[in-house]
Amino acid sequence: MSALFTWTSLLPVLIILSSLIPGLLIFATPEHARTRRTLLNMTGIAIKLILVALMLAGVSQGLTFRFEIPFLPSAPLVLHGDALSLQFIALSSILWLATTIYAIGYLEGSPLRSRFFGYFSLCVSATVGLALAGNLVTFLLFYELLTLSTFPLVVHRGTPAALKAGRVYLAYTLGGGTLLMMGVALLHSLVTTPDFTAGGYVLAQIEDSSLGLQIAFILMIAGLGVKAALVPLHSWLPQAMVAPAPVSALLHAVAVVKAGAFGIIRVVYDVYGVEASALLALTQPLLWLAAVTMIYASIRALQQQDIKRRLAFSTVSQVSYITLGVALAGPIAAVGAIVHLVHQGLMKVTLFFCAGNFAETLGIHKVQEMDGLGQRMPWTMAAFSVGALGMIGVPPVAGFISKIYLGMGALEVGQPWVVLLLAGSALLNAAYFLPLLYRGWFGKPPADGWQQDNFKNHRFETHWMLLMPALFTALLSLLVGIFAGSILSPLGWSEFIVSREFAQ
Amino acid sequence: MTYALVSLSIPLLSALALMLAGARLSNRNAGIMAIVTSLLSLGAAWFCLLDVAAANQSILLNLGGWENGLAIRLRLSPLSSLLLLFTAFMHVLIGIYAGFSRRGVSRDFWTLSSLLHGSLAALWLSADLFNLYITLELLGLTAVAMVALAGKKAYKPAANYLILSLVASLFYLLGVALVYGRYGSLDVVLLGLQTQSDTTTRIALLVMTAGLMLKAALWPLHLWLPAAHANAPTAVSALLSGLVVKGPIFILWLLWSEVAPVDLAQQIGPVLAVAGMIALVAGGLSAMRSPYLKTLVAYSTVAQLGYAMMALGLLMAWQLPQMHVALWLFVIAHGLAKATLFLAAGEMQTTLGTKRVSGLRGATQTVPVAMFAFAVAGGSLIGLPPSGGFLAKWVLLEPMLSSPQNWPWAFGVLLGTLVSAAYIFRVVAISFDRARINPPDVRPDRLGHWLALLPALMVWGMALIGEWLIEFLSGGGV
Amino acid sequence: MSGLQLYLILGAAVFLLGLHGLLMTTDSIRRLIAVNLMGAGIFLIMVALAGRISPPDPVLHALVVTGLVVAISATAFALRLITAAARVDSGQSAVPDKASRLASKSESDVAEDSRP
Repeated sequence: MSALFTWTSLLPVLIILSSLIPGLLIFATPEHARTRRTLLNMTGIAIKLILVALMLAGVSQGLTFRFEIPFLPSAPLVLHGDALSLQFIALSSILWLATTIYAIGYLEGSPLRSRFFGYFSLCVSATVGLALAGNLVTFLLFYELLTLSTFPLVVHRGTPAALKAGRVYLAYTLGGGTLLMMGVALLHSLVTTPDFTAGGYVLAQIEDSSLGLQIAFILMIAGLGVKAALVPLHSWLPQAMVAPAPVSALLHAVAVVKAGAFGIIRVVYDVYGVEASALLALTQPLLWLAAVTMIYASIRALQQQDIKRRLAFSTVSQVSYITLGVALAGPIAAVGAIVHLVHQGLMKVTLFFCAGNFAETLGIHKVQEMDGLGQRMPWTMAAFSVGALGMIGVPPVAGFISKIYLGMGALEVGQPWVVLLLAGSALLNAAYFLPLLYRGWFGKPPADGWQQDNFKNHRFETHWMLLMPALFTALLSLLVGIFAGSILSPLGWSEFIVSREFAQ
Repeated sequence: MTYALVSLSIPLLSALALMLAGARLSNRNAGIMAIVTSLLSLGAAWFCLLDVAAANQSILLNLGGWENGLAIRLRLSPLSSLLLLFTAFMHVLIGIYAGFSRRGVSRDFWTLSSLLHGSLAALWLSADLFNLYITLELLGLTAVAMVALAGKKAYKPAANYLILSLVASLFYLLGVALVYGRYGSLDVVLLGLQTQSDTTTRIALLVMTAGLMLKAALWPLHLWLPAAHANAPTAVSALLSGLVVKGPIFILWLLWSEVAPVDLAQQIGPVLAVAGMIALVAGGLSAMRSPYLKTLVAYSTVAQLGYAMMALGLLMAWQLPQMHVALWLFVIAHGLAKATLFLAAGEMQTTLGTKRVSGLRGATQTVPVAMFAFAVAGGSLIGLPPSGGFLAKWVLLEPMLSSPQNWPWAFGVLLGTLVSAAYIFRVVAISFDRARINPPDVRPDRLGHWLALLPALMVWGMALIGEWLIEFLSGGGV
Repeated sequence: MSGLQLYLILGAAVFLLGLHGLLMTTDSIRRLIAVNLMGAGIFLIMVALAGRISPPDPVLHALVVTGLVVAISATAFALRLITAAARVDSGQSAVPDKASRLASKSESDVAEDSRP
């Protein structure tokens, strides 16, 4: 029993509690107590960042962080901080900081903020729990809790459109959750539920129950694919755009779609393992699925005139890069996939912050209205440009690094067509992002002035709480690209993860 | 065993005392007395549980010291100790709700709820077919009287409920007569050693099953339930859905897992399981379409009992001990969740002044605690991890998934999950509507709302003792 | 045909007659009578079964006596409830109850739970 309470076993729990407890306290905070709410938020974030840094240091020293309590027979609840979970946790904690500041600015003066920030914190807790989950049952648990805690955020505005989007969101994600549960239960009946293991744990059973293993894989990927927005399970994502901008940012960059992508990484690498996945003929269909998603969503993005919807389809396309890298099943592609988890998050959150700024400051929602934005809001436009160029894959922004690794990984495993696919996707990305940049920088502002202009007399071009997070994440996406060679960059860490994964 | 008898007799004596005292006891004191006696019974049930857990087997008691065969026997199994505890807890909780929340209840409520508590405790402890008949009849009559507490408009549903309940008991009694005529014994344990699958036994078991299914509102004999449960006062609805329908299920389970010959059980099992699957989907669809909140919750009982029936049917068909565990986890998880759903629904109706589901627009703002309770309890009905409903579903799913020819059953569970999600989130989604908020008539009753939340939190808390519960129930299901 | 068989068949016939009446009528009092008929059929079967052996089986006699007590009290309760329900039905228009007084509420629906 005494081993239960060492600091290494409690740290994962504390990391979850550091956002859960502030979240619960925020629910109890009266609406007008703005300072108290902000204080709670910021304290939670600060504690979480410190704890995550501690764990990061520990894991790179080779310490293991594992917490376990009994739950189901031969499937306990396990929280386990390994290198891969830390990649995701570090991302979500940093983006939680940026998004919270942004949300405080964005929602200033609007009603029901205590409820909003309460669920916001719960959502982050669920995401972090999901990252720390040490086996499939624990993962499933947090996966469902994530659905529940994001739903109130999606319908936060409470308009008929928001409710409609919320119903669609629930139908998809709860359906996906049920499929995932079926898959997890099926796999449990075949091989029980041990901890996630580098290289997987199903190989021994592959002779006896290959059909069961295949079906379990399909069920789980279908369940995870809903959140990862794999075509044809992606329709909820563009609809969920009615949510407030910080929610979109969180949904797209960290919480929901990443939970799906992260789950796919876990299932392929740590449950089935690359070898067993290949033996069961599972990786190739997944690769095709990712390829179709990538191209289809890019084409759909081209057709969208609403900025946020265009970004949404771009997310669908970009997240499938992660799936693609996983499905390629080679070490270099794996690095690309895992690093893209972070890179896409940083870039996409920047883009959503900027889109939110345009909407909040000048009431701009459509692509055509972006003419001359760069003159009125140069900083936001610059951040937007960094994100967009990164998405296309222009060096030295982060996206370039991911694409290089994915391409090299494809060549390594002998699938050169994927390089063509990546090039095609980059072209499509350029096709739907460059017009926005062109209009913003080189278009002429409307002659009769902006239809609305909210933060005219501010010191900055918009509210500082809206501007700073966007600049911060844009800067980060540049830095992680420029310093990709250092061991502390996401790339260096991804290589560290993959070196363990492919060690056998 | 002594503790079990204490836990059983305290509420019975309390009911008697309350009835004799009549108007001499103020409503308030009657309430306090009923709650305190439930609490005492709860304490006794707790010790009872500890006893059984220590002994790790069932304890039998021959009442009056008669020898086997002649004696009416009581039996304390791990399951019955758990059910005793559960029943007492629900009575304490709902008693507190009825007594202290703003909408009081009449004095008769206390007499009847004590009687209900006593008859349920007797039912869980009985191991004699005729004694079970008596407890069943007592349970039915008390439940009807409690429905009638809702006032004039509930008389008609109550009268219908009574007639159906009487018919159901008579079917059961006919079966008991046939069994006694064939084997000369009514003791569950002794019968289990004797029964053969001949015509008399078959007819007897089928007649009893039909009666019990009618009593438990198992599909397709469920039509009376929505009217009766939706028209009762809130506290009574919670007791009816959470506890009363579980009584006949207990007897049904006793009959088919202990009394019936195995080959007969294997024949009938799949039929029951299919009926359960249909109940799950059909009840869910009715709940989805119901315009009234309480009717929605009542139909959800019909649907959720489908899970129990499925577990029972597959228990009979496959003779797998896990299915005991699944069945009783469902019963307990459903009882707790349903208590919350009815209490929350009742509170929201009173506060918002509407019975309709569509009247809940904006309920997350106007009645946040009750709405949250509703959603949390609903999560357990859907079976989201780590709630009690999830535990039960997990135990149910494992044997279904272990061999490919059983996978169609898992598909039934999948379907049931989706339908439950649909009707629960139909309510939850409406409550987030901020565009056309339905303003509350009165200030929310805070205590009532928080009390409604309590069982919902407990059903999710079952996760913490999940592994223990599964082991405890599989250790001595019989 | 032995006496036992005769009584058993008679009991079954009475039970089925009661069941038929229950399913075929809608009037509550008639249905209650039908239920009692079903009960009588079962008691007949039980008494007949008791007579299989000599001296007659006292257990079954005891069960029948208990069953009769239950049946009588249940019937009394049912009669009271049915007449009360009938009175509500006939007197509804004359005495508006709480529900109809509050009917002005939106969508003409109202929280219930009036207490007796």
